[in-house]
Formats: sequence, structure tokens, C-alpha cells
Amino acid sequence: MERPKLIVDGRRLDGRRPDELRPFRIKAGVLKRADGSAYMELGKNKILVAVYGPKEMHPRHLQQSDVAVLRCRYNMAPFSVEERKRPGPDRRSMEISKVIREALEPVLFLHLYPRAVIDVFIEVLQADAGTRTAGITAASVALADAGIPMRDLVTGISAGKVDGTVVLDLMKEEDQWGEADMPIAVMPRKKLITLLQMDGNFTPEEFRQAFDLAFKGVELLYEAQKEALREKYLPSLEEER
Amino acid sequence: MLFVSNRELVVPGKLLAEGNYVAGEGAFVEDGKIFSSVVGLTEIRERSVSVISLQGRYIPRRGDKVIGIVVDTHPYGWILDLNSPYTGNLLASELVGRRIDIFKEDLSKLLRMGDAVLAEVREVDDRWRVFLSPLQRGRIKEGRLVEISPAKVPRVIGRRGSMLRVLQETTGCRLEVGINGRILVKGKDPDKVNAVVEAILLIEKEAHLSGLTDRIKAKLEKLR
Repeated sequence: MERPKLIVDGRRLDGRRPDELRPFRIKAGVLKRADGSAYMELGKNKILVAVYGPKEMHPRHLQQSDVAVLRCRYNMAPFSVEERKRPGPDRRSMEISKVIREALEPVLFLHLYPRAVIDVFIEVLQADAGTRTAGITAASVALADAGIPMRDLVTGISAGKVDGTVVLDLMKEEDQWGEADMPIAVMPRKKLITLLQMDGNFTPEEFRQAFDLAFKGVELLYEAQKEALREKYLPSLEEER
Repeated sequence: MLFVSNRELVVPGKLLAEGNYVAGEGAFVEDGKIFSSVVGLTEIRERSVSVISLQGRYIPRRGDKVIGIVVDTHPYGWILDLNSPYTGNLLASELVGRRIDIFKEDLSKLLRMGDAVLAEVREVDDRWRVFLSPLQRGRIKEGRLVEISPAKVPRVIGRRGSMLRVLQETTGCRLEVGINGRILVKGKDPDKVNAVVEAILLIEKEAHLSGLTDRIKAKLEKLR
């Protein structure tokens, strides 16, 4: 495929301005049998997260005597991308599972449940760049939905550079042809960063710009996360008034 | 200073209070401020601010009445599943109320796998080992066991036991409520037992609505 021009007259391929997010939607509590769950769409990304636990850890030798263990599994469905993805874990998804786990761990009060385990399953049903950050965003909603005590939610988004312009929330084409991609996950309340990766190149000035854009995106997503959690209960709470 | 009203729906990380307040359950302190740690309804009692979670697993606490299910045996007793991340330990001698010579007696005559036991949490130690004291001699022999989310159990009991009273008095059934989300329904008339089970499941589904007690009452009274 020929490299398309990614920004024309200040507009991106899908008509967004550089500082705009793709349309998004978050819903909490979509799976009945899971302890907590969430579904998220971000542009063409469709991600389903299920949380189980805290529950007893088996095998026993993996138990930690003072804290609960968090296990994350990021998985892409074979049909989530244009060319069928070979099912099962691969180098990429194992690495992403690890960084997602490390992005979520700081918000959880894991010491409340020693010897237990919390399982987080992140299933990417349709991928269009930025799935790890969307996965984190949805996973923290699912964790809260499971009733697991947390300091805050975690919100993820990516910023990058395409055609020399710093942009927010890269889509597939921009990820593929762009010059830089920087996923970032934040605990928004205290603005603490729990994940920061980058491929490509930024100048220090561009890095700062991308950083600011990402925080702008995080604010919007954070509100949507909180709203998704409230929405699960509020309609019925309103009724009683 | 308070930042929320009583019985307000909050999400994790929401600022609840600052200054002269104490953080209760579902809340935590950071930099002298109190935040919510779960999704739930706030409960403000004088100086204490807590959040009643709307979800979550059962965590054993001393004094809780629970219904456990035998999942394993060890030389002196049994391991019980408590619908929780932690299993409970029950000693054979406690169950029968006398000394037991484990070389002469066969423990499987007392309890077998899958048997349900009504018990109280006697102690939870710092390694989260849970020790149970039986509230009845032997296993639960009769009744229907219903399992619901432990977060919804307070609704089945109701304010000062109001819901429980409705469930029992309108149907003549006897209920044993395990805080861990297992409820035993005993009654002579199977139709009434079924009605109570249905009612409990309805309470679980609509736990966050008010006026529930009256609706359940109307439903059960129709049965007579």
C-alpha cells in the first residue's frame, strides 16, 4: 500500500483535528458471569474486559503471602485485524499483558487480599491502533465494577507524530505511517503516570506537546469512565426518588 | 469538610471529606483527605465516612454467620468453601462437641464433600486463615440453598431485619442467612419455599431500589 498523505488542511484522514479523540463509548457490567466487566469502543477499536476475583490462587506456590497477585491477559481475536491473526499468545501480546499489569497494579489495594488472585482478561475484538491504552481504560472500569478497592481509575491514551504534526489518539494508518507513537496511562486524580512507551522519534519540544495532548485526552476519557460506572446504577437509583 | 451527601453514589478516587473525619470501609486516606475506594453509596455517621460497596466478594470477619460447603478434608477436620477468596477450617471435635480419636473414628461419617455447614467465623488470623465454629451439630440436612452476591445480603436482611421478617412471616418458612451470600430456606410447603427463593433472587436483582420490602410483601401475600 502506498503511503497516504495523513494530514490535509489541518484535518486527519477521518476528519479529526490533531488534538481530537476518536468517538468513544464505555459501558460497565456487560458480562453476567464475570465479577466485573466493561466494554469499550474507541473509533474502530472494540474491547471487552472481564475481571474475576479476588479468588483463591491456584497453584498455591504462586500465592504471595502478603498481597494479592494481579494477572492480566491481553489477547487479540483472530478476526480483530484484516489479515487473520494466529490465535494465542505471542511475543507482542505477552509483552502488552505485562505492561498493562504494571499499569494497573499501582491503583489496586492488593495488600487487602493476601494469597488471593485477581484475573483481568482483555479481549480485543476489533483493533485499530491504541488497543493497549483502550484496554487499560476499560480494565480499570471492569476492576471497579468488580468491587475491588482502588485508589483511582487508570486512563490510557496514545499521542504521536504524523506528517510532522503532533497528534492525539492515533488510528491505524497514522500508527503505520506516522513518525512516532507514544502510549501513556495515567492515574488522573494525582496525574501519576503508570505506563509510558514510545516508538519513533520526538524532539523534546514535540514530546512535551504530545504529553500535554495526552493529558487532555485522559481528562475526557476519565469522565466517561466514571460516567460508565455511575450509569450502571443511577437509572435505578433515580427511579426511587 | 464533607464533599458528598449521605447515600450518594460514588466511584473510586472520589474525594469524600477533608479534615476532622475518619475513613470507614470502602474509603481510604491520602494526604489527610478521605477518598472512596469502591463504587457504592456513601454512609456518613457523625465523624465517620464510609462507602457501602455495591459489588464484591465476601471477605471473612470474626463473628460472621456463614454457610460453608465442604471441599476437602484434613486429618482433624474439613476445609470449607466460603464463596470467598479464603477457605474456612472446621475441626471435627468442634462439630460434634467432644474429643475425637481420629484413629478410631471415620471423619467421613460426619461430613462429606459437598455437605453444607452453618458456622460462625471464630477467628481470622493475620495470615488470613479462617477458623470456623459450627452453629449446628453436623451438616445442614434440609432446606434449599440459594446463592447470591454477598454485597446484596444486607438487603435480604433489611433494616433491623425487616425484609427477613417479611420473608419468614408471610410464608411460614425459616431462613438462615449466611453473610457470605448463601441463604438456606426451610419450609414444609415446596411452593412457598420456591416463592421465597424467587423473592430472594428478585431482591438480589433489584437490591439498589427502595420500596423493595413492600413489593416483596405484596408479592408473597398474593400467594396465600
